[in-house]
Amino acid sequence: MKSLIRLLLVLSIFGTLVIGISAQDTEISLLQWSHFVPRYDEWFDAYAAEWGEANGVGVSVDHVNFTELFSTLAAEIDAGDGHSIVEVLFSPASFIDGLHDLRDINEAAAEMYGERASTCEAASYLPVSDTWYAYTHGYVPDPGDYDIALWTEAGYPDGPKTYDDLLEGGRAIFEASGIPVGIGMSPELDSRMANRAAIWSFGGSIQDENENVVLNSDETIAAVKYLAQLQNEAMTDEVFGWTAASNNQGLIAGELSYILNSNSAYRSLQKIDEAAAANIGFTPALAGPAGAYASSHVWQIYVIPKYVEGDELAAAKQFILDHTANYSDVTYHSELYNFPCLPGTVPELDGWLEADPWGSEPPNKFEVLKTVNDWSVHLGFPGVTNPAISQVFAESIIPNMVAQVALGEMDAEEAVAQAHERIEEIFNEWRARGLVGGGDM
Amino acid sequence: MKLLHLGNFPLDNRRLIGALFLTPALLYIVLLVGFPFVLSIAFGFSDVTVGNTDLSFVGFRNFLAVWENDIFRQVFETTIRFTLISQVFILIFANILAVIFTQEFTGKWFARFVFILPWATPVSLAMIGWLWMLDTKYSPIDYLLLQLGLLGRGGLLSDNRNLFWLAAPDLAQISVIFVQVWRMTPLATVILMAGLSSIPTDILDQAEVDGSRFMRTLLQIKLPLILPIMVIALLFSMITMFGDMTVVYVLTRGGPVDYTRVLGLYSFQVGIEGGNLAQGAAISLFAFPLLLAMAIFMLRTASRAEVR
Repeated sequence: MKSLIRLLLVLSIFGTLVIGISAQDTEISLLQWSHFVPRYDEWFDAYAAEWGEANGVGVSVDHVNFTELFSTLAAEIDAGDGHSIVEVLFSPASFIDGLHDLRDINEAAAEMYGERASTCEAASYLPVSDTWYAYTHGYVPDPGDYDIALWTEAGYPDGPKTYDDLLEGGRAIFEASGIPVGIGMSPELDSRMANRAAIWSFGGSIQDENENVVLNSDETIAAVKYLAQLQNEAMTDEVFGWTAASNNQGLIAGELSYILNSNSAYRSLQKIDEAAAANIGFTPALAGPAGAYASSHVWQIYVIPKYVEGDELAAAKQFILDHTANYSDVTYHSELYNFPCLPGTVPELDGWLEADPWGSEPPNKFEVLKTVNDWSVHLGFPGVTNPAISQVFAESIIPNMVAQVALGEMDAEEAVAQAHERIEEIFNEWRARGLVGGGDM
Repeated sequence: MKLLHLGNFPLDNRRLIGALFLTPALLYIVLLVGFPFVLSIAFGFSDVTVGNTDLSFVGFRNFLAVWENDIFRQVFETTIRFTLISQVFILIFANILAVIFTQEFTGKWFARFVFILPWATPVSLAMIGWLWMLDTKYSPIDYLLLQLGLLGRGGLLSDNRNLFWLAAPDLAQISVIFVQVWRMTPLATVILMAGLSSIPTDILDQAEVDGSRFMRTLLQIKLPLILPIMVIALLFSMITMFGDMTVVYVLTRGGPVDYTRVLGLYSFQVGIEGGNLAQGAAISLFAFPLLLAMAIFMLRTASRAEVR
């Protein structure tokens, strides 16, 4: 009976959407990033045009640099006019009041394709307001990339498995060859995620499951001390000026022994020098005293601003669901960059990880990613990614805290306490707006 | 003599023509400066976020919260320090260059053209150029120093192959100040050149007749005469730099740690990237009273110098 009701619910949503978009003059527009893989954009633009023709909807797609997505979304919500669908790469929880609740399509997709990866749900759903403010269709794993020859020589032919391995092996390689480990500690995206991965794996976190700030803990302090030691003994000062391109540049130049990155650095190298690419191996999240966790690199998150209404809204929702239904193409044309939030949409994925359709050598280079949903988490882990977590991310509080200790300006206890205090302020502000749980609520 | 009677021509009306000439400037100020400024004040006193632009009044809550934020106080101090240090260098270089460019020499026009380029180039493009020049690992400056034996094992400057221009705290600050000086000096120079060119030649001729040499003429005649214009150049430069975020946004994102984070960047990170539009507006408004006081002081100084 329950299944029947669910089926009717799904059918009724589809029915509403199909009827809703029957008008021929409906138009939708999408804003999304210029994908790291250019062939993906070529595929997507053609797909969107075909979808429009098939559904009698005019579709236009604008691509911008990913750094412009949030500012454009903010401007469009403020103006009450703009794109029908905006794809952002990090949780847009702070935009929640200006976005449509997408519970219907999130539930419909889950009904059709089964369980959603937890890293995706936490980037789209805010429990305190019980709102699905976004629809996360994909995410990007952030495994470790290591130089096989260097790590084999150091006694780790399969690369580092734990944070202890990273320190011991990374230090030995640095001392022997001058080639450092590359874990950023600067105010930029990769550093923010890499530093969080170590903190989680040591048992610390910014917040707990109930959205209470718990950064100032022995576990976080231990992680910060570890990262400072890693920087002092196995890295150079370049990590304090790390940029989003540093991983890629260093790996391609053969000047970093280990990085945390999406497959982008490797794919770039593959196109330039196949032999050098064959020398790159992947590791899952490194294990620390409390487990092995890594942040997803980015998320592909669709939102529909509240100014979108009527036929345009129905068409936008239909587009999102149909896009999910074609996720095998999404993953394939992104060269396995986009992973599906709903694994059921890409049944070929395990086969592709065993034999990379884009010509890796050996073909099973990405096989370690079969376990990705066991260790790939989101920015607010173990709670949800709420607006406060987004602001903490934007202010680069975590990498700055780590860098202060690595530079010897503060001891770990002092730096963590200072960061905790600022994060508490941010949480309290958003909690007062009713958008963060925990506290006295 | 018979006068030709031209009849009434509307544009002969001085009040009308004055109003017409002023209208574009007034529209520009009202629409592109005034309106955003009023809006940011409204935001600063409200609870607005990037998703909710309802202006519910919260009094001084945002300003108090911002003032209690340790990061903000450091950012504010950094902004003032960067601005003041840069102005000293801008003033020195602009004066030297203005004097040079008002002399006659071969290739003067080409030199002036090359010199104005930093100001004429779009700032984001210029900063990408500097980002490459100061790259932590592949900086051409480091490469040159390496070839000269100043970097690398046993090198005079460092045993490392890099100086880490944008990663070492001291060098990152110096780099940002240097780039700001590079960018702002041409404007100040052009303004000072205009000032120097406007000095009546009879005064300079008289000085020469009286036996005044180059330095005396410069220090006791030219510089005092262009003081009001120098103050205006300084004011332009300070206000532009105080509110700028592009240089650090492209070069360092405020790092390492918070060493190069300035007010404009922090306001953007909190208000737009962090979604807390109200606090982002409050952060940016903290600069206003300071800039206003500075502008009044400098304009009065210029006015007094002019009267003398």
